[in-house]
Amino acid sequence: MIGASPVDLSIELPRGLRLENPILVASGTFGYGIEYSDVVDIQRLGAICCKGTTLRPRVGNITPRVTETPAGMLNSIGLQNPGVDAVIRKYGPTWTGWQVPVIVNVAGESIEDYVEVASRLDGVPGVAGIELNISCPNVGKGGLQFAIDAEAAGAVTAAVRAVTELPLLVKLSPNVADVRPIARAIEAAGADAITAINTLSGIAVGPGRRRPLLGNVYGGLSGPAIKPVALRIVYEVAQVVDIPIIAIGGVAELGDVLDFMAVGAIAVQVGTVLFADPTLPVRLVEQLTDECRRLGLDSYLPLVGTALPKRSSPLSAPSSKGVEYRP
Amino acid sequence: MQLVAAELVESREILPGQWLQAFHAPALTVGPRAGQFVHIRPGDFSGLILRRPFSFNTVDRASGQITIHYRAVGRGTDWFTRLRPGDSVDMLGPLGQPFEVDPHSRHLLLIAGGLGMAGVRMLADDALRAGREVTLLFGAASATEVYPSSLLPDEVEYVVATDDGSLGHRGYITDLVPEYEGWADQAFACGPVPMLAALARLAAGRGARLGIASLGRKPGRGSTRGSARGAPEPGSPAARRKAFLQVSMEQNMGCAVGACLGCVVMDAKGAPQRVCREGPVFASTELDWESGW
Repeated sequence: MIGASPVDLSIELPRGLRLENPILVASGTFGYGIEYSDVVDIQRLGAICCKGTTLRPRVGNITPRVTETPAGMLNSIGLQNPGVDAVIRKYGPTWTGWQVPVIVNVAGESIEDYVEVASRLDGVPGVAGIELNISCPNVGKGGLQFAIDAEAAGAVTAAVRAVTELPLLVKLSPNVADVRPIARAIEAAGADAITAINTLSGIAVGPGRRRPLLGNVYGGLSGPAIKPVALRIVYEVAQVVDIPIIAIGGVAELGDVLDFMAVGAIAVQVGTVLFADPTLPVRLVEQLTDECRRLGLDSYLPLVGTALPKRSSPLSAPSSKGVEYRP
Repeated sequence: MQLVAAELVESREILPGQWLQAFHAPALTVGPRAGQFVHIRPGDFSGLILRRPFSFNTVDRASGQITIHYRAVGRGTDWFTRLRPGDSVDMLGPLGQPFEVDPHSRHLLLIAGGLGMAGVRMLADDALRAGREVTLLFGAASATEVYPSSLLPDEVEYVVATDDGSLGHRGYITDLVPEYEGWADQAFACGPVPMLAALARLAAGRGARLGIASLGRKPGRGSTRGSARGAPEPGSPAARRKAFLQVSMEQNMGCAVGACLGCVVMDAKGAPQRVCREGPVFASTELDWESGW
């Protein structure tokens, strides 16, 4: 019987980025991979996307930096990080010994920043890939501006592409009117995959209603509250690009993983829900295996793209650009 | 740090809106130290997606129970008040850095403002068990918010101040500190930031007022970087052990394990320190009280 055959969850992303399974942990929610290691068997994750890394150290925003919202949270960390050199020095040797790939999330204020960080990461043992954070809503300069304009998104992607052979993921912002031209520009500029989505810009009101709650006023909304938005964006992007899409936005249970796959995601990242449920990603790996077995599949790939208007998944589709957007 | 299923044993509203809850969690009664905390997951996952941090209020290894003490201030804490005996919650802990008592300290001054009691309560038990003397200064807005003395060990000298004078000293608890600073070998505080900042200022001037060199600071050593031989590394347990005043800080928290960087306070060098990881307990001299975080 087919159901008895072993299930293989591994996937091969472009440039040899091999993931043992499609369940990743999202940047900013899992530190540098070591923080949760007492309670999570991190080697069983598909990959770890580390905290956003910039050229120079950043102290981040004033507090409060986080607050809970209905089925979600707002954060405004402001890219606090020790800078790329310190990240390489402090964590590189540890990552080298790991089986789980570490994808370094890279942020910057200018194209030059992104290029410099990417070139310093290129060839560093233990760094399996780069996730370009062109969509952080919580920093004054740069960040988001690259994600809201197709030309700028393409330019920064191309510039980074030119200096690294590392697998290059680019993370989309939902804070745009139409994400499709941006996704196409990123693909055309040489990205290997798209991550979608980053947080939605929002605010909360503070105690006594005298001012906004967060020290930085604006924060990024994440968690189950944003899942429908993330689904919509993955659904739209999957119809206009051929490169793989890694979905992120409120994954809290297996059904969410399957939903994102149905609209075209080849993998998912678990983020905010980790804070409540750190062992969720490892359980999702087990549950996805069980689900494939139940369906008599030896791979989950047939589950990808089933809810898209076109007949085949983005993986098996030859090179169709999908449906053109007509406003 | 471990994930533990804890069963509610007893739940009591000890003051209007303030709850004391005992959980059976034997694994968490071995090892935690005063000042550390647990991160507890509300079960109502549809809306509440973050865990809530609670100090270890008391820990009893014999019965396998820990207690937490909190004020119901929002949907999360409201949810906890509705727990019934036998209900189970998911706890992550123990987390954070504990208070460090110098082995030579005989007299401990504990200072708590309001819910800050939960931050220092366990230290009173530990100190008495180790044969130390404990004075606990407690401040609240009025008598209706004063922590019941019946919930404290008899051996603790309990001194109360209320803003409105309805019980004990009329005014702030910090008014009373000068009376005790000569007696105290070390002080440990938890409460609102303005209170902690006032205590930090008092502690900074203590040496001069008492005519003694402050603990851990040898006059004549030039280095201000804390790297001089013999001077403990800032942020280390040894640095806290040598500090006159240690404070337990509070901040909105996400992960509580150091991953999300949500809960920082600024140190004296302008570097962010995670309340959940480098804290919640800091030597008062290590923080920048003027930063506004």
